[in-house]
Amino acid sequence: MSKKTAIILVAIAMALLLAAASARAQNPTASGVINATLVNKNGISLVFDTDPAGVTLGASGTSAASLDFGTVSAFGPLSSGVTRPTVTATNYTVTTIFDVMVEQGGLNSNSYTLSANLAAAAPTGFTYQVDAVTLTTGAQNIQTNGTYSTDIAHNLSLVISTAAPGAGGPAVGTPLTTTINFTATAN
Amino acid sequence: MNRGRGWLIGVCWLMSLAGVAAQAQTSSAQLSISLSVQSSISLIFQNNPNVNTPGFCPLTNSGTNNVGLDLGTAAFPGSFHTSTCVNYAHVGAAFYQVSSAFDVVVSKANTSSPSYRLAAEISTAPPANVVWLVNNVTLSNTAFVALDAADNYGQAITKTLQVQVKNTVPTQTLQETITFLATAN
Repeated sequence: MSKKTAIILVAIAMALLLAAASARAQNPTASGVINATLVNKNGISLVFDTDPAGVTLGASGTSAASLDFGTVSAFGPLSSGVTRPTVTATNYTVTTIFDVMVEQGGLNSNSYTLSANLAAAAPTGFTYQVDAVTLTTGAQNIQTNGTYSTDIAHNLSLVISTAAPGAGGPAVGTPLTTTINFTATAN
Repeated sequence: MNRGRGWLIGVCWLMSLAGVAAQAQTSSAQLSISLSVQSSISLIFQNNPNVNTPGFCPLTNSGTNNVGLDLGTAAFPGSFHTSTCVNYAHVGAAFYQVSSAFDVVVSKANTSSPSYRLAAEISTAPPANVVWLVNNVTLSNTAFVALDAADNYGQAITKTLQVQVKNTVPTQTLQETITFLATAN
């Protein structure tokens, strides 16, 4: 085999090798897209939080909390977090503090109005007050300029008649339960 | 015709938008309150309206259930006594008595109790020949002694504390804590 023939054969072999490498680089590919959607709704929420100076709430941090004053009396001891600011001949007041936190999202609102009402008429001998607003079964404003995303303390006071049971006073030695509805409305 | 229907649809759309915008966002929550009411009564001591006249010494912390009453210094000879607000008298041939009156007020709440009974007890046994009394009833340190059977709530009941000392008792400070107990009838 002549030198010329050998050169030609080497050239052919190199060409074949390059062709094979090129064929290997062309693997099949596939592509896709995800069409994602999120519906962002506006809204407002209200939860009750335990205030450090008040009674520890049951289910604190939720919108369905409970607050137990324990046993109350005009002259006897009171539960932790309950105070008795006044005692008169006709009634006495027991008070505690709870927090309300309202959050909003997607609203063009800088503040909210808080209202409250008793779910049912108050038991005999009782008057319920939130921040000195006497509650009824009709909604009444407690605060008209609440700040969002902040625990705002409110006083819950029970004015209790000193009268005896059956004479205008409350039932004695019987657990009493009352539900207060709170509503926050974006301003 | 078509143009009119288009206007109508547009107006309806705008009105529905306005309705959505007018609906204020609200959130509601419920707080359940529970408690139990208990009957109670209280007892406080008050200065008698005649305070600072003979027989009516002033109380410290008047208006509370923990007061002080200073009867001063006294002796048998010469009817000696330093306090101008006490009553001083010789009782029999060998005793002297120092006394002062004050008021007790008992209040009630959430009870149909019509009245209360009042009793008193001294804290420690007095020295020999020293007697502590309230309204002439000798007090004991072993049991409450009944003073009244049916006092009215909310009314000031005047009580007189007396200390009787025999002339043989040596110099010393006579001190007692007297507990008054009101019990609802």
